[in-house]
Amino acid sequence: MADYKILFTGSVCSGKTTAIRSLSEIETVDTDAKVSDSVIRRKQRTTIAMDYGVLELNENAKLHLYGTPGQERFRFMWQLMMSDLVADAEALILLVDNTRTDPFKDIRFYVDEFRDYLVKRRLVIAVTHADVRANPDYNYYMNQLKRMGLFTTVMFIDARDPADVLKLVKEVVGRREREVDWAALAAKLADNSTVPEAVAIPDQIVNNDAAKPVSLIDAAVNTRGISGAMHLGADRKVISSNVGSMQSQALLKAMVNLVSALEQKAAFLGKIDNFMLCGEEQETLSVFVEEEQALGLSSDKGLSLTVVKQQASDLLQWSRNDND
Amino acid sequence: MIELLEAVDELDFIEGCCLMQADQVLSSTFPASRRHHETIAKKAFTYVFTNASKLRSTHDEAHLEIGEKRVSGFKLEGSQILICLSSKQTNVVNVRNNVRELYNGLQQQAQMA
Repeated sequence: MADYKILFTGSVCSGKTTAIRSLSEIETVDTDAKVSDSVIRRKQRTTIAMDYGVLELNENAKLHLYGTPGQERFRFMWQLMMSDLVADAEALILLVDNTRTDPFKDIRFYVDEFRDYLVKRRLVIAVTHADVRANPDYNYYMNQLKRMGLFTTVMFIDARDPADVLKLVKEVVGRREREVDWAALAAKLADNSTVPEAVAIPDQIVNNDAAKPVSLIDAAVNTRGISGAMHLGADRKVISSNVGSMQSQALLKAMVNLVSALEQKAAFLGKIDNFMLCGEEQETLSVFVEEEQALGLSSDKGLSLTVVKQQASDLLQWSRNDND
Repeated sequence: MIELLEAVDELDFIEGCCLMQADQVLSSTFPASRRHHETIAKKAFTYVFTNASKLRSTHDEAHLEIGEKRVSGFKLEGSQILICLSSKQTNVVNVRNNVRELYNGLQQQAQMA
């Protein structure tokens, strides 16, 4: 019996757990926990260690499906998986959430993180949530990836649809496993589908308040260690804010003014990413800048600056949803 | 505080540093090719620490990431500001801890002398 392994990775909410559940014939092994950071914007629970599922391709071939946790703070698990559990995997499937503000930032990040791992195996990019946001489209992905020097397969999938996810498997092992009846396999897995049309959604879920989208500001303050947030537009004017302290609010505005001035006068030095102000007895104030928006945060002085940066990056990656 | 400047400049990940007081550079090890970073950092940190003082805040450390670089400003005693240049890839906590450790060490030495 041939045993194949595939590793799924990608940002939080990109569909890793869902894709594995779509394909697995066993009850998947999930290690999810209640969300305690910026991810609350998208879901209430998240994978903290790994996902695992199994699919029998035919009598002679079995596929083991592994999924990494999406959050960067669990990257030690990525290393652990790469060096041990999935050291012999056939391919890395990078799931890319098309609703993120800049999906290519995610691609660059994950390709960089898994660079050594990819030397000996295939990379397949699977774009998800295209039903929510169609653009960037396939051609745009191909052009951008070419510019990045990445010549790889790109497929648009719905992680909830087993037949769709199965296409990824066929792409990876199809040439070596010519005896697999892919159509029959898709039919066998049809019950795993969680595409809305295929399942009856109970009223209590439809009416569940927890399912309502969480605003950027609410998501920020639901994040451990963050006490206030200020969302700014492309013109660096405040869109919304819930920074409680007048002192912090005034200082954040001064920081934003400074950043705006530097963006005009010091553009030749490069793009400003962030500006952080710290003090031993004060909460940390930070401004994170993108072309179309900026985010000001006040956070606990004990919260690591690296964690604050990660949280801000995630919050900004989903913030375009506010305008949809 | 020139000793602090020299000690910080010895750190592998610091590409240049300068000590300033009241808008004036007292001493600098910034390479000539990074003078623009020094100028921007001087203005930015003077502005933000002045604002912090006006608002009676005790914030005394700032980090600005611009292009591929990071400039970090540390407000010292006597309203001096130490500015350090590092790569954006360098862990910011590493920069902070090393500068603080060297500063505290030098202060202890001064007290004992």
